[in-house]
Amino acid sequence: MALMKIFVVEDSIPYAKALVHHLGLNPDNEVEHFVDARSFLNQLHRIPDCVLLDYSLPDLSGIQVLKRIRSQMPDLPVLIVSGQEDVGTAVDLLKEGAYDYIVKDANAKDRIWNALNNIKENARLRKEIDVLREEVNQKYDFSNIIGSSLEIKAVYKLIEKATLTNITVSITGETGTGKELVAKAIHYNSKYRKRPLVSINIAAIPTELLESELFGHEKGAFTGAVSKRVGKFEEADGGTIFLDEIGEMDLNLQAKLLRVIQEKEVTRLGSNKNIKVNSRILVATNRDLKEEVRLGNFREDLYYRLLGLPIHLPPLRDRGGDTMLLAKYFLQEFVRENGFSEIKISAAAQQRILSYPWPGNVRELKAIVELAAVLCDDGLIDEKDLNFNSVSDEMDTLVSEGLSLKEYNRRLIQHYLRKNDNNVVEVAKRLDIGKSTLYRMIKNKEINLN
Amino acid sequence: MSDKVYNLAQLEELGGGDAEFVTMMVATFLEHTPGQLEEMKAAHSSGDLATLGAIAHKIKPNVDMFGIDAIVQDVRDLEQMGKNGVNTAETVAKLNKVDAELKIAFEQLKQY
Repeated sequence: MALMKIFVVEDSIPYAKALVHHLGLNPDNEVEHFVDARSFLNQLHRIPDCVLLDYSLPDLSGIQVLKRIRSQMPDLPVLIVSGQEDVGTAVDLLKEGAYDYIVKDANAKDRIWNALNNIKENARLRKEIDVLREEVNQKYDFSNIIGSSLEIKAVYKLIEKATLTNITVSITGETGTGKELVAKAIHYNSKYRKRPLVSINIAAIPTELLESELFGHEKGAFTGAVSKRVGKFEEADGGTIFLDEIGEMDLNLQAKLLRVIQEKEVTRLGSNKNIKVNSRILVATNRDLKEEVRLGNFREDLYYRLLGLPIHLPPLRDRGGDTMLLAKYFLQEFVRENGFSEIKISAAAQQRILSYPWPGNVRELKAIVELAAVLCDDGLIDEKDLNFNSVSDEMDTLVSEGLSLKEYNRRLIQHYLRKNDNNVVEVAKRLDIGKSTLYRMIKNKEINLN
Repeated sequence: MSDKVYNLAQLEELGGGDAEFVTMMVATFLEHTPGQLEEMKAAHSSGDLATLGAIAHKIKPNVDMFGIDAIVQDVRDLEQMGKNGVNTAETVAKLNKVDAELKIAFEQLKQY
Protein backbone atom coordinates (compact mmCIF):
# COMPACT_ATOMS: atom_id res chain seq x y z
CA MET A 1 0.00 0.00 0.00
CA ALA A 2 1.58 3.29 -1.00
CA LEU A 3 -0.68 5.65 0.92
CA MET A 4 -2.84 4.62 3.84
CA LYS A 5 -6.09 6.54 4.01
CA ILE A 6 -7.11 6.78 7.67
CA PHE A 7 -10.44 8.20 8.84
CA VAL A 8 -10.40 9.47 12.45
CA VAL A 9 -13.87 9.79 13.98
CA GLU A 10 -13.50 11.75 17.23
CA ASP A 11 -15.63 14.51 18.74
CA SER A 12 -12.97 15.72 21.17
CA ILE A 13 -11.23 18.31 19.03
CA PRO A 14 -7.99 18.49 21.03
CA TYR A 15 -7.64 14.71 21.08
CA ALA A 16 -8.52 14.47 17.39
CA LYS A 17 -5.97 17.12 16.47
CA ALA A 18 -3.29 15.35 18.46
CA LEU A 19 -4.13 12.07 16.76
CA VAL A 20 -4.24 13.54 13.25
CA HIS A 21 -0.91 15.25 13.80
CA HIS A 22 0.71 12.16 15.26
CA LEU A 23 -0.50 9.86 12.49
CA GLY A 24 0.49 12.45 9.90
CA LEU A 25 4.10 12.16 11.05
CA ASN A 26 4.26 9.13 8.78
CA PRO A 27 4.19 10.56 5.24
CA ASP A 28 2.49 7.37 4.01
CA ASN A 29 -0.60 8.20 6.08
CA GLU A 30 -3.36 10.37 4.67
CA VAL A 31 -5.48 11.28 7.69
CA GLU A 32 -8.94 12.83 7.68
CA HIS A 33 -10.96 13.86 10.71
CA PHE A 34 -14.73 13.65 11.29
CA VAL A 35 -16.35 15.14 14.41
CA ASP A 36 -19.40 12.88 14.45
CA ALA A 37 -20.73 9.57 13.17
CA ARG A 38 -23.05 10.99 10.54
CA SER A 39 -20.47 13.09 8.73
CA PHE A 40 -18.17 10.06 8.73
CA LEU A 41 -20.80 7.61 7.47
CA ASN A 42 -21.66 10.03 4.65
CA GLN A 43 -18.07 9.75 3.45
CA LEU A 44 -17.61 6.03 3.96
CA HIS A 45 -18.11 5.44 0.22
CA ARG A 46 -14.65 6.96 -0.26
CA ILE A 47 -13.33 3.70 1.21
CA PRO A 48 -10.59 4.36 3.75
CA ASP A 49 -7.95 1.73 4.51
CA CYS A 50 -8.63 1.99 8.23
CA VAL A 51 -10.93 3.78 10.69
CA LEU A 52 -10.05 5.06 14.16
CA LEU A 53 -13.39 5.32 15.87
CA ASP A 54 -14.12 7.02 19.17
CA TYR A 55 -16.50 4.89 21.20
CA SER A 56 -18.54 7.81 22.61
CA LEU A 57 -19.78 10.02 19.83
CA PRO A 58 -22.54 12.62 20.25
CA ASP A 59 -24.92 11.19 17.66
CA LEU A 60 -24.37 7.41 17.61
CA SER A 61 -22.66 4.96 19.94
CA GLY A 62 -19.44 3.27 18.87
CA ILE A 63 -21.16 -0.10 18.54
CA GLN A 64 -23.88 1.34 16.30
CA VAL A 65 -21.30 2.94 14.03
CA LEU A 66 -19.25 -0.26 13.98
CA LYS A 67 -22.30 -2.29 12.93
CA ARG A 68 -23.03 0.19 10.12
CA ILE A 69 -19.45 -0.03 8.89
CA ARG A 70 -19.44 -3.83 9.06
CA SER A 71 -22.69 -4.07 7.10
CA GLN A 72 -21.21 -1.99 4.28
CA MET A 73 -17.54 -2.97 4.41
CA PRO A 74 -17.01 -6.10 6.44
CA ASP A 75 -13.27 -6.20 5.73
CA LEU A 76 -12.49 -2.60 6.71
CA PRO A 77 -10.31 -2.58 9.85
CA VAL A 78 -11.85 -0.46 12.63
CA LEU A 79 -9.77 0.51 15.66
CA ILE A 80 -11.93 1.58 18.57
CA VAL A 81 -10.22 4.35 20.50
CA SER A 82 -12.03 4.92 23.76
CA GLY A 83 -11.68 6.69 27.07
CA GLN A 84 -13.60 3.81 28.57
CA GLU A 85 -11.49 1.21 30.33
CA ASP A 86 -14.28 -1.32 30.34
CA VAL A 87 -13.39 -4.92 29.52
CA GLY A 88 -17.01 -5.89 28.83
CA THR A 89 -17.42 -3.15 26.25
CA ALA A 90 -14.10 -4.05 24.66
CA VAL A 91 -15.11 -7.70 24.36
CA ASP A 92 -18.47 -6.78 22.84
CA LEU A 93 -16.80 -4.56 20.28
CA LEU A 94 -14.21 -7.14 19.37
CA LYS A 95 -16.99 -9.71 18.97
CA GLU A 96 -18.71 -7.29 16.61
CA GLY A 97 -15.58 -7.34 14.49
CA ALA A 98 -13.51 -4.38 15.75
CA TYR A 99 -9.85 -4.82 14.79
CA ASP A 100 -8.63 -3.63 18.20
CA TYR A 101 -9.77 -1.71 21.26
CA ILE A 102 -7.39 0.98 22.41
CA VAL A 103 -7.81 2.98 25.62
CA LYS A 104 -6.93 6.67 25.49
CA ASP A 105 -3.99 6.58 27.84
CA ALA A 106 -0.29 7.36 27.61
CA ASN A 107 0.33 4.12 25.63
CA ALA A 108 -2.43 4.78 23.11
CA LYS A 109 -0.19 6.27 20.44
CA ASP A 110 2.17 3.30 20.45
CA ARG A 111 -0.69 0.81 20.32
CA ILE A 112 -2.34 2.72 17.48
CA TRP A 113 0.98 2.86 15.64
CA ASN A 114 1.51 -0.90 16.04
CA ALA A 115 -2.05 -1.71 15.01
CA LEU A 116 -1.70 0.43 11.87
CA ASN A 117 1.57 -1.30 11.00
CA ASN A 118 -0.16 -4.67 11.37
CA ILE A 119 -3.06 -3.51 9.21
CA LYS A 120 -0.62 -2.34 6.54
CA GLU A 121 1.22 -5.64 6.62
CA ASN A 122 -2.03 -7.61 6.44
CA ALA A 123 -3.19 -5.49 3.52
CA ARG A 124 0.12 -6.09 1.74
CA LEU A 125 -0.15 -9.85 2.29
CA ARG A 126 -3.79 -9.88 1.22
CA LYS A 127 -2.86 -8.06 -1.96
CA GLU A 128 -0.07 -10.52 -2.60
CA ILE A 129 -2.48 -13.42 -2.08
CA ASP A 130 -5.00 -11.81 -4.46
CA VAL A 131 -2.32 -11.41 -7.12
CA LEU A 132 -1.17 -15.02 -6.70
CA ARG A 133 -4.75 -16.25 -6.67
CA GLU A 134 -5.45 -14.33 -9.85
CA GLU A 135 -2.36 -15.84 -11.45
CA VAL A 136 -3.48 -19.32 -10.43
CA ASN A 137 -7.00 -18.65 -11.73
CA GLN A 138 -5.59 -17.57 -15.05
CA LYS A 139 -3.28 -20.56 -15.18
CA TYR A 140 -6.14 -22.94 -14.58
CA ASP A 141 -8.76 -21.10 -16.54
CA PHE A 142 -10.32 -24.06 -18.33
CA SER A 143 -10.35 -22.18 -21.60
CA ASN A 144 -6.57 -22.68 -21.40
CA ILE A 145 -7.05 -26.40 -21.85
CA ILE A 146 -5.96 -26.58 -25.45
CA GLY A 147 -8.07 -28.27 -28.06
CA SER A 148 -10.84 -27.72 -30.55
CA SER A 149 -12.01 -31.27 -31.18
CA LEU A 150 -15.62 -32.18 -30.46
CA GLU A 151 -14.39 -34.56 -27.77
CA ILE A 152 -12.57 -31.88 -25.80
CA LYS A 153 -15.36 -29.35 -26.35
CA ALA A 154 -17.72 -31.79 -24.65
CA VAL A 155 -15.27 -31.89 -21.74
CA TYR A 156 -15.24 -28.06 -21.51
CA LYS A 157 -18.99 -28.08 -21.16
CA LEU A 158 -18.87 -30.60 -18.34
CA ILE A 159 -16.11 -28.70 -16.53
CA GLU A 160 -18.19 -25.55 -16.74
CA LYS A 161 -21.19 -27.36 -15.26
CA ALA A 162 -18.98 -28.81 -12.52
CA THR A 163 -17.81 -25.34 -11.49
CA LEU A 164 -21.35 -24.16 -10.83
CA THR A 165 -22.30 -26.67 -8.12
CA ASN A 166 -20.78 -28.68 -5.31
CA ILE A 167 -21.43 -31.99 -7.03
CA THR A 168 -18.73 -34.66 -6.66
CA VAL A 169 -16.86 -35.09 -9.92
CA SER A 170 -15.25 -38.31 -11.08
CA ILE A 171 -12.62 -37.75 -13.71
CA THR A 172 -11.56 -40.73 -15.75
CA GLY A 173 -9.13 -41.17 -18.57
CA GLU A 174 -5.89 -42.81 -19.53
CA THR A 175 -2.69 -41.73 -17.91
CA GLY A 176 -1.44 -38.38 -19.20
CA THR A 177 -4.80 -37.14 -20.44
CA GLY A 178 -4.84 -34.23 -17.97
CA LYS A 179 -7.04 -35.40 -15.10
CA GLU A 180 -5.22 -33.26 -12.55
CA LEU A 181 -5.41 -30.22 -14.82
CA VAL A 182 -9.17 -30.69 -15.06
CA ALA A 183 -9.43 -31.00 -11.26
CA LYS A 184 -7.54 -27.71 -10.89
CA ALA A 185 -9.65 -26.02 -13.54
CA ILE A 186 -12.80 -27.07 -11.67
CA HIS A 187 -11.51 -25.91 -8.30
CA TYR A 188 -10.06 -22.56 -9.40
CA ASN A 189 -13.20 -21.65 -11.30
CA SER A 190 -15.65 -22.73 -8.60
CA LYS A 191 -16.95 -20.98 -5.49
CA TYR A 192 -14.41 -23.00 -3.48
CA ARG A 193 -11.43 -21.27 -5.10
CA LYS A 194 -10.71 -19.02 -2.13
CA ARG A 195 -10.09 -22.06 0.03
CA PRO A 196 -7.39 -24.67 -0.57
CA LEU A 197 -7.29 -27.37 -3.19
CA VAL A 198 -5.73 -30.34 -1.42
CA SER A 199 -4.57 -33.13 -3.73
CA ILE A 200 -3.55 -36.58 -2.68
CA ASN A 201 -2.37 -39.39 -4.89
CA ILE A 202 -3.76 -42.56 -3.31
CA ALA A 203 -1.36 -44.79 -5.26
CA ALA A 204 1.69 -42.88 -4.06
CA ILE A 205 1.13 -43.46 -0.35
CA PRO A 206 1.55 -46.82 1.37
CA THR A 207 -1.78 -48.23 2.53
CA GLU A 208 -0.77 -48.21 6.19
CA LEU A 209 -0.03 -44.47 6.08
CA LEU A 210 -2.95 -43.43 3.93
CA GLU A 211 -5.57 -43.39 6.67
CA SER A 212 -3.50 -40.99 8.76
CA GLU A 213 -2.78 -38.85 5.68
CA LEU A 214 -6.46 -38.55 4.89
CA PHE A 215 -7.97 -38.26 8.33
CA GLY A 216 -5.06 -37.16 10.55
CA HIS A 217 -3.88 -38.59 13.82
CA GLU A 218 -3.36 -37.68 17.46
CA LYS A 219 -0.01 -37.72 19.18
CA GLY A 220 0.89 -41.30 20.13
CA ALA A 221 -1.86 -42.84 17.96
CA PHE A 222 0.72 -45.26 16.58
CA THR A 223 4.47 -45.84 16.72
CA GLY A 224 6.06 -42.82 15.14
CA ALA A 225 3.12 -40.48 15.71
CA VAL A 226 5.25 -38.03 17.66
CA SER A 227 2.89 -35.13 17.22
CA LYS A 228 -0.69 -34.39 16.28
CA ARG A 229 -1.35 -34.17 12.55
CA VAL A 230 -4.26 -32.71 10.65
CA GLY A 231 -5.46 -34.89 7.78
CA LYS A 232 -6.09 -33.88 4.18
CA PHE A 233 -9.86 -33.73 4.69
CA GLU A 234 -9.46 -31.19 7.50
CA GLU A 235 -6.92 -29.23 5.45
CA ALA A 236 -9.39 -29.03 2.60
CA ASP A 237 -12.28 -27.89 4.80
CA GLY A 238 -14.28 -25.30 2.86
CA GLY A 239 -12.25 -26.02 -0.26
CA THR A 240 -11.72 -29.00 -2.52
CA ILE A 241 -10.12 -32.37 -1.91
CA PHE A 242 -8.82 -34.16 -4.98
CA LEU A 243 -8.37 -37.91 -4.54
CA ASP A 244 -6.24 -38.99 -7.46
CA GLU A 245 -6.01 -42.68 -8.39
CA ILE A 246 -8.99 -43.46 -6.18
CA GLY A 247 -9.22 -46.91 -7.77
CA GLU A 248 -6.07 -47.91 -5.89
CA MET A 249 -7.65 -47.47 -2.47
CA ASP A 250 -7.71 -50.47 -0.18
CA LEU A 251 -11.17 -51.91 0.61
CA ASN A 252 -10.92 -51.25 4.37
CA LEU A 253 -10.13 -47.63 3.80
CA GLN A 254 -12.91 -47.37 1.24
CA ALA A 255 -15.37 -48.14 4.06
CA LYS A 256 -13.90 -45.33 6.16
CA LEU A 257 -13.95 -42.92 3.25
CA LEU A 258 -17.60 -43.76 2.64
CA ARG A 259 -18.40 -42.88 6.24
CA VAL A 260 -16.58 -39.54 5.95
CA ILE A 261 -18.51 -38.69 2.81
CA GLN A 262 -21.85 -39.70 4.31
CA GLU A 263 -21.41 -38.14 7.74
CA LYS A 264 -19.26 -35.18 6.63
CA GLU A 265 -17.01 -35.74 9.60
CA VAL A 266 -13.62 -37.30 10.20
CA THR A 267 -12.12 -38.95 13.24
CA ARG A 268 -8.38 -38.63 13.63
CA LEU A 269 -6.52 -41.86 14.37
CA GLY A 270 -6.23 -42.27 18.11
CA SER A 271 -9.16 -39.95 18.83
CA ASN A 272 -12.86 -40.44 19.53
CA LYS A 273 -13.76 -36.92 18.59
CA ASN A 274 -15.62 -36.35 15.34
CA ILE A 275 -14.57 -33.27 13.42
CA LYS A 276 -16.97 -31.71 10.93
CA VAL A 277 -15.54 -31.28 7.45
CA ASN A 278 -17.17 -29.76 4.45
CA SER A 279 -15.19 -29.96 1.29
CA ARG A 280 -15.97 -30.54 -2.34
CA ILE A 281 -14.73 -33.92 -3.53
CA LEU A 282 -13.08 -34.60 -6.87
CA VAL A 283 -11.77 -38.05 -7.70
CA ALA A 284 -9.78 -39.38 -10.62
CA THR A 285 -8.79 -42.78 -11.85
CA ASN A 286 -7.50 -44.45 -14.97
CA ARG A 287 -9.27 -47.63 -14.00
CA ASP A 288 -12.77 -48.66 -15.00
CA LEU A 289 -14.34 -48.37 -11.55
CA LYS A 290 -17.50 -50.14 -12.64
CA GLU A 291 -15.39 -53.13 -13.62
CA GLU A 292 -13.52 -52.87 -10.32
CA VAL A 293 -16.87 -53.03 -8.51
CA ARG A 294 -17.77 -56.11 -10.51
CA LEU A 295 -14.46 -57.70 -9.60
CA GLY A 296 -15.02 -56.93 -5.92
CA ASN A 297 -12.11 -54.51 -5.72
CA PHE A 298 -14.21 -51.41 -5.20
CA ARG A 299 -17.25 -50.91 -2.96
CA GLU A 300 -20.43 -50.42 -4.91
CA ASP A 301 -21.89 -47.95 -2.38
CA LEU A 302 -18.73 -45.83 -2.55
CA TYR A 303 -18.75 -46.05 -6.34
CA TYR A 304 -22.20 -44.48 -6.50
CA ARG A 305 -21.26 -41.85 -3.90
CA LEU A 306 -18.23 -40.82 -5.90
CA LEU A 307 -19.61 -41.10 -9.39
CA GLY A 308 -21.35 -37.71 -9.24
CA LEU A 309 -20.68 -35.91 -12.48
CA PRO A 310 -18.45 -38.18 -14.57
CA ILE A 311 -15.98 -36.46 -16.87
CA HIS A 312 -14.16 -38.78 -19.21
CA LEU A 313 -11.03 -37.38 -20.82
CA PRO A 314 -10.51 -38.76 -24.30
CA PRO A 315 -7.12 -40.21 -25.17
CA LEU A 316 -5.05 -38.00 -27.43
CA ARG A 317 -5.35 -40.45 -30.33
CA ASP A 318 -9.11 -39.78 -30.38
CA ARG A 319 -8.75 -36.01 -30.40
CA GLY A 320 -8.01 -35.57 -34.09
CA GLY A 321 -6.49 -32.19 -34.87
CA ASP A 322 -5.83 -31.43 -31.20
CA THR A 323 -2.57 -33.36 -31.38
CA MET A 324 -0.91 -30.90 -33.73
CA LEU A 325 -2.54 -27.95 -31.97
CA LEU A 326 -1.09 -29.15 -28.65
CA ALA A 327 2.31 -29.97 -30.16
CA LYS A 328 2.59 -26.43 -31.52
CA TYR A 329 1.37 -24.96 -28.24
CA PHE A 330 3.94 -26.91 -26.17
CA LEU A 331 6.67 -25.99 -28.63
CA GLN A 332 5.74 -22.30 -28.50
CA GLU A 333 5.68 -22.32 -24.68
CA PHE A 334 9.02 -24.11 -24.48
CA VAL A 335 10.59 -21.68 -26.95
CA ARG A 336 9.21 -18.72 -24.98
CA GLU A 337 10.31 -20.04 -21.56
CA ASN A 338 13.84 -20.72 -22.80
CA GLY A 339 14.26 -17.63 -24.91
CA PHE A 340 14.82 -19.66 -28.10
CA SER A 341 14.26 -18.31 -31.59
CA GLU A 342 11.26 -19.63 -33.46
CA ILE A 343 11.22 -23.40 -34.10
CA LYS A 344 9.05 -25.03 -36.75
CA ILE A 345 7.99 -28.65 -37.28
CA SER A 346 8.80 -30.22 -40.66
CA ALA A 347 6.04 -31.83 -42.71
CA ALA A 348 7.57 -35.29 -42.16
CA ALA A 349 7.75 -34.75 -38.40
CA GLN A 350 4.15 -33.54 -38.39
CA GLN A 351 3.14 -36.67 -40.25
CA ARG A 352 4.96 -38.80 -37.69
CA ILE A 353 3.31 -36.96 -34.79
CA LEU A 354 -0.10 -37.48 -36.33
CA SER A 355 0.43 -41.18 -37.01
CA TYR A 356 1.87 -42.04 -33.59
CA PRO A 357 -0.75 -43.52 -31.18
CA TRP A 358 0.41 -41.50 -28.11
CA PRO A 359 -0.08 -44.12 -25.41
CA GLY A 360 1.23 -41.63 -22.84
CA ASN A 361 -1.21 -39.00 -24.15
CA VAL A 362 -0.70 -35.25 -23.68
CA ARG A 363 2.04 -35.72 -21.08
CA GLU A 364 4.05 -37.81 -23.54
CA LEU A 365 3.44 -35.37 -26.39
CA LYS A 366 4.74 -32.49 -24.29
CA ALA A 367 7.88 -34.39 -23.29
CA ILE A 368 8.64 -35.48 -26.84
CA VAL A 369 8.08 -32.03 -28.34
CA GLU A 370 10.26 -30.37 -25.72
CA LEU A 371 13.05 -32.86 -26.26
CA ALA A 372 12.76 -32.38 -30.02
CA ALA A 373 13.07 -28.62 -29.54
CA VAL A 374 16.35 -29.19 -27.73
CA LEU A 375 17.72 -31.72 -30.26
CA CYS A 376 16.69 -30.04 -33.50
CA ASP A 377 19.01 -28.01 -35.72
CA ASP A 378 18.41 -24.80 -37.64
CA GLY A 379 15.07 -24.09 -35.97
CA LEU A 380 13.34 -27.05 -37.59
CA ILE A 381 12.12 -30.21 -35.85
CA ASP A 382 12.62 -33.15 -38.16
CA GLU A 383 11.49 -36.76 -37.85
CA LYS A 384 14.87 -37.77 -36.41
CA ASP A 385 14.37 -35.34 -33.48
CA LEU A 386 11.26 -37.16 -32.30
CA ASN A 387 12.21 -39.79 -29.73
CA PHE A 388 9.31 -42.02 -28.93
CA ASN A 389 10.21 -43.78 -25.72
CA SER A 390 6.82 -44.44 -24.22
CA VAL A 391 6.91 -46.77 -21.25
CA SER A 392 3.20 -47.06 -20.74
CA ASP A 393 2.55 -48.91 -23.93
CA GLU A 394 5.54 -49.56 -26.12
CA MET A 395 4.00 -52.13 -28.39
CA ASP A 396 3.05 -49.75 -31.17
CA THR A 397 6.53 -48.32 -31.16
CA LEU A 398 8.08 -51.77 -31.26
CA VAL A 399 6.16 -52.67 -34.37
CA SER A 400 7.42 -49.58 -36.13
CA GLU A 401 11.03 -50.26 -35.19
CA GLY A 402 11.48 -53.30 -37.44
CA LEU A 403 13.01 -55.58 -34.80
CA SER A 404 14.02 -59.24 -35.15
CA LEU A 405 11.43 -61.73 -33.93
CA LYS A 406 13.70 -62.75 -31.03
CA GLU A 407 14.19 -59.16 -29.89
CA TYR A 408 10.51 -58.46 -30.37
CA ASN A 409 9.63 -61.46 -28.15
CA ARG A 410 12.13 -60.37 -25.52
CA ARG A 411 10.73 -56.85 -25.35
CA LEU A 412 7.16 -58.13 -25.38
CA ILE A 413 7.83 -60.36 -22.38
CA GLN A 414 9.73 -57.58 -20.62
CA HIS A 415 6.81 -55.24 -21.19
CA TYR A 416 4.24 -57.64 -19.77
CA LEU A 417 6.40 -58.45 -16.76
CA ARG A 418 6.66 -54.75 -15.97
CA LYS A 419 2.92 -54.30 -16.42
CA ASN A 420 2.19 -57.24 -14.10
CA ASP A 421 4.63 -56.39 -11.34
CA ASN A 422 7.02 -59.15 -12.45
CA ASN A 423 4.35 -61.78 -11.86
CA VAL A 424 5.83 -64.62 -13.91
CA VAL A 425 2.81 -66.91 -13.55
CA GLU A 426 0.43 -64.21 -14.75
CA VAL A 427 2.63 -63.24 -17.71
CA ALA A 428 3.10 -66.88 -18.73
CA LYS A 429 -0.67 -67.30 -18.69
CA ARG A 430 -1.35 -64.11 -20.67
CA LEU A 431 1.26 -64.81 -23.32
CA ASP A 432 0.50 -68.52 -23.38
CA ILE A 433 4.11 -69.58 -22.89
CA GLY A 434 5.68 -71.87 -20.35
CA LYS A 435 6.77 -70.52 -16.98
CA SER A 436 10.01 -72.43 -17.40
CA THR A 437 10.72 -70.45 -20.58
CA LEU A 438 10.36 -67.24 -18.65
CA TYR A 439 12.51 -68.46 -15.76
CA ARG A 440 15.18 -69.57 -18.23
CA MET A 441 15.21 -66.13 -19.90
CA ILE A 442 15.50 -64.47 -16.51
CA LYS A 443 18.31 -66.81 -15.51
CA ASN A 444 20.14 -66.11 -18.79
CA LYS A 445 19.65 -62.39 -18.20
CA GLU A 446 17.77 -62.07 -21.48
CA ILE A 447 15.18 -60.20 -19.49
CA ASN A 448 15.46 -58.27 -16.25
CA LEU A 449 13.15 -58.17 -13.29
CA ASN A 450 13.24 -54.57 -12.18
CA MET B 1 1.59 32.46 39.68
CA SER B 2 3.25 29.48 41.38
CA ASP B 3 4.30 26.12 39.81
CA LYS B 4 2.63 24.94 36.65
CA VAL B 5 -0.32 22.59 37.16
CA TYR B 6 0.18 21.11 33.69
CA ASN B 7 2.93 19.10 32.06
CA LEU B 8 3.32 19.11 28.28
CA ALA B 9 5.84 16.24 28.07
CA GLN B 10 3.33 13.78 26.59
CA LEU B 11 2.13 16.35 24.08
CA GLU B 12 5.67 17.22 23.05
CA GLU B 13 6.40 13.54 22.49
CA LEU B 14 3.24 13.20 20.43
CA GLY B 15 4.30 16.14 18.31
CA GLY B 16 7.65 14.56 17.59
CA GLY B 17 9.52 17.73 18.49
CA ASP B 18 7.23 20.05 16.55
CA ALA B 19 6.84 23.20 18.72
CA GLU B 20 4.13 24.61 16.46
CA PHE B 21 2.06 21.53 17.08
CA VAL B 22 2.21 22.07 20.86
CA THR B 23 1.22 25.72 20.44
CA MET B 24 -1.67 24.70 18.22
CA MET B 25 -2.78 22.08 20.76
CA VAL B 26 -2.67 24.59 23.61
CA ALA B 27 -4.83 26.98 21.58
CA THR B 28 -7.28 24.16 20.78
CA PHE B 29 -7.46 23.14 24.42
CA LEU B 30 -8.15 26.71 25.47
CA GLU B 31 -10.76 27.06 22.79
CA HIS B 32 -12.79 23.96 23.71
CA THR B 33 -12.22 22.92 27.31
CA PRO B 34 -13.51 26.03 29.16
CA GLY B 35 -16.86 25.60 27.40
CA GLN B 36 -16.94 21.90 28.31
CA LEU B 37 -16.21 22.77 31.93
CA GLU B 38 -19.11 25.20 32.02
CA GLU B 39 -21.41 22.61 30.40
CA MET B 40 -20.36 20.06 32.99
CA LYS B 41 -21.14 22.42 35.85
CA ALA B 42 -24.47 23.39 34.28
CA ALA B 43 -25.36 19.71 33.87
CA HIS B 44 -24.68 19.15 37.55
CA SER B 45 -26.74 22.18 38.57
CA SER B 46 -29.69 20.90 36.59
CA GLY B 47 -29.29 17.38 37.99
CA ASP B 48 -28.37 15.94 34.59
CA LEU B 49 -25.79 13.52 35.90
CA ALA B 50 -25.58 11.49 32.68
CA THR B 51 -24.41 14.57 30.78
CA LEU B 52 -22.00 15.39 33.59
CA GLY B 53 -20.49 11.90 33.23
CA ALA B 54 -20.37 12.15 29.44
CA ILE B 55 -18.52 15.49 29.51
CA ALA B 56 -16.10 14.23 32.15
CA HIS B 57 -15.47 11.31 29.81
CA LYS B 58 -14.64 13.72 26.99
CA ILE B 59 -12.39 15.93 29.12
CA LYS B 60 -10.52 12.94 30.55
CA PRO B 61 -8.06 12.26 27.68
CA ASN B 62 -7.30 15.98 27.34
CA VAL B 63 -6.54 16.28 31.06
CA ASP B 64 -4.23 13.27 30.66
CA MET B 65 -2.62 14.67 27.52
CA PHE B 66 -1.94 18.06 29.16
CA GLY B 67 -0.58 16.36 32.26
CA ILE B 68 -2.95 18.08 34.71
CA ASP B 69 -2.14 15.34 37.18
CA ALA B 70 -3.90 16.76 40.24
CA ILE B 71 -7.34 16.07 38.74
CA VAL B 72 -6.69 12.97 36.61
CA GLN B 73 -8.44 10.71 39.13
CA ASP B 74 -11.19 13.22 39.99
CA VAL B 75 -12.29 13.49 36.36
CA ARG B 76 -12.49 9.70 36.21
CA ASP B 77 -14.51 9.63 39.43
CA LEU B 78 -16.89 12.26 38.06
CA GLU B 79 -17.36 10.20 34.93
CA GLN B 80 -18.32 7.15 37.02
CA MET B 81 -20.55 9.17 39.37
CA GLY B 82 -22.36 10.66 36.39
CA LYS B 83 -22.79 7.26 34.78
CA ASN B 84 -24.09 5.73 38.02
CA GLY B 85 -26.30 8.74 38.94
CA VAL B 86 -24.38 9.45 42.13
CA ASN B 87 -24.75 13.01 43.39
CA THR B 88 -23.28 13.41 46.83
CA ALA B 89 -21.15 15.94 48.67
CA GLU B 90 -18.16 14.11 47.24
CA THR B 91 -19.45 14.78 43.72
CA VAL B 92 -19.69 18.48 44.47
CA ALA B 93 -16.23 18.50 46.04
CA LYS B 94 -14.67 16.79 43.08
CA LEU B 95 -16.44 19.05 40.61
CA ASN B 96 -15.21 22.12 42.49
CA LYS B 97 -11.69 20.76 42.53
CA VAL B 98 -11.73 20.03 38.80
CA ASP B 99 -13.20 23.49 38.14
CA ALA B 100 -10.54 25.26 40.19
CA GLU B 101 -7.61 23.28 38.84
CA LEU B 102 -8.70 23.63 35.22
CA LYS B 103 -9.15 27.36 35.63
CA ILE B 104 -5.58 27.65 36.90
CA ALA B 105 -4.42 25.52 33.98
CA PHE B 106 -6.29 27.79 31.54
CA GLU B 107 -4.63 30.88 32.99
CA GLN B 108 -1.20 29.32 32.98
CA LEU B 109 -1.59 27.96 29.43
CA LYS B 110 -2.63 31.38 28.17
CA GLN B 111 0.91 32.43 29.04
CA TYR B 112 2.42 29.59 27.00
